[in-house]
Amino acid sequence: MASFVPTSADTLEDQRLYTRARLTEVACLDCLACVGVKKNSEHHTSVQWDDEAKRHCPEMSRRDRLDGRAVTPACPRLVASIEAAARDGRIPIGAEDGY
Amino acid sequence: MSDVRTLDQGHAPERFARGWHCLGLASTFADRKPHAIEAFGTKLVVWADTQGELNVLDGYCRHMGGDLTQGSVKGDEIACPFHDWRWGGDGKCKTIPYARRVPLRARTQRYETAIVNDQLLVWHDTEGSKADHDILPPQLPGLDEGLYTDWQWSSEHIEGSHCRELIDNVVDMAHFYYVHFAFPTSFRNVFEGHIATQFMESKGRPDKTEGYGDAELFLKSEATYYGPSYMINWLDTDYKGFNTEVILVNCHIPTGPDSFLLQYGITVKKPEGLDDKTTDFIATKYAEMFGSGFLQDVHIWKNKVPVQNPLLCEEDGPVYQLRRWYEQFYVDQAEVKGEMVDRFEFEVDTTKANEYWQDEVAENLRLKAEEDAASESAAESAGAEGEPSLMSGT
Ligand code: FES
Ligand SMILES: [Fe+2]
Repeated sequence: MASFVPTSADTLEDQRLYTRARLTEVACLDCLACVGVKKNSEHHTSVQWDDEAKRHCPEMSRRDRLDGRAVTPACPRLVASIEAAARDGRIPIGAEDGY
Repeated sequence: MSDVRTLDQGHAPERFARGWHCLGLASTFADRKPHAIEAFGTKLVVWADTQGELNVLDGYCRHMGGDLTQGSVKGDEIACPFHDWRWGGDGKCKTIPYARRVPLRARTQRYETAIVNDQLLVWHDTEGSKADHDILPPQLPGLDEGLYTDWQWSSEHIEGSHCRELIDNVVDMAHFYYVHFAFPTSFRNVFEGHIATQFMESKGRPDKTEGYGDAELFLKSEATYYGPSYMINWLDTDYKGFNTEVILVNCHIPTGPDSFLLQYGITVKKPEGLDDKTTDFIATKYAEMFGSGFLQDVHIWKNKVPVQNPLLCEEDGPVYQLRRWYEQFYVDQAEVKGEMVDRFEFEVDTTKANEYWQDEVAENLRLKAEEDAASESAAESAGAEGEPSLMSGT
């Protein structure tokens, strides 16, 4: 059963644009993780993981924040890999009409 | 075909979210009286049994529909005011004082409970699944050890909005400037599994004294939803060099298709060298500020329309991905898709926005200075010192 039901077909296209369009594959330089990355600007980064990528990343499988919080903010090695890819021009930088 | 953008208002979901929902501070239910809580399109009854265990059932008696919340607690059971049927916390009718036997089918809807952070949580799932204790919100370290003040707890009924409006704030970078009067200087989201987090750093706007506006206030905030309705917000505040660690719990119970009960609690880590009274005072102040902060949001929600197809600009947060995450609580467990729970990270670029906002604020201050200079009473009106204020993750 669908939950929040759009009434227009265009909405589905918007959902696709914002969540899936223009993702570039970036492989981690230190592990086997491979993620989808989008950079709308120098400072913006969107990173889409999947299950397999998460299993490969040692940072993600380490769940031991001592302060009771649940989230791993980021994997520093993946962050470095994305920065390197952006520097090398392997990730197009710039937004297409907001997405 | 016109190229005018239309708002797709869509339809609200027909069900209420699956997951743990907080009903309030456990202590408020401990008095051996029945308590009524509107939730999930019905009314629940909450009471404490002889062992002090809290029980939660649907509030309407399965005999003839009597209102159990107006009944009384007799022994371990809740007794209906209509014909005195006695219901146990396991959902079974235990006794009918005037009957030979209790019908085997005398079972009502019960809600599994858990106590976390001094609060009563119940599991809700339209599919009737067993409560998943693995995804309870975490118990805050130091709370039971007395390192924090008692919770300052408040609630607010919201009519005319689906609770997803509240969830949307997790990604809404720009509204912190316009609605809450602060500069979000850094803004990041991570969604994964049943958890959604917002990391934010901000400072108050010097041109505002209401809301969270205050140039001397710096804030580091980490706000995490554990499931659809329970957020813990860790806030490290720096006000004029005075650091306070504040924890805000922001939770809600859906009551109808477009209404919910918002509840929030504040606790403050007791600073060394301060007596409890002073610390409680600080906590009260923060609670008041959060209250007014939520009201700023509420005013927006009350007057806006729902939108399934928000139009975003480059400075906006990941609304679509957040809603994709939130969707997992509204579909059958078997229909939860990988993309709803896969890890997703988003760093908002706040640089340009803050440049524009700094200019705007500078201009506001300049205009205000001009006005003050022009007004003869400028000298008297200058005395209003803003309260130390604080911005939460919503
Ligand atoms: S309706 Fe509750 S006992 Fe009859
Ligand atoms: Fe808000």
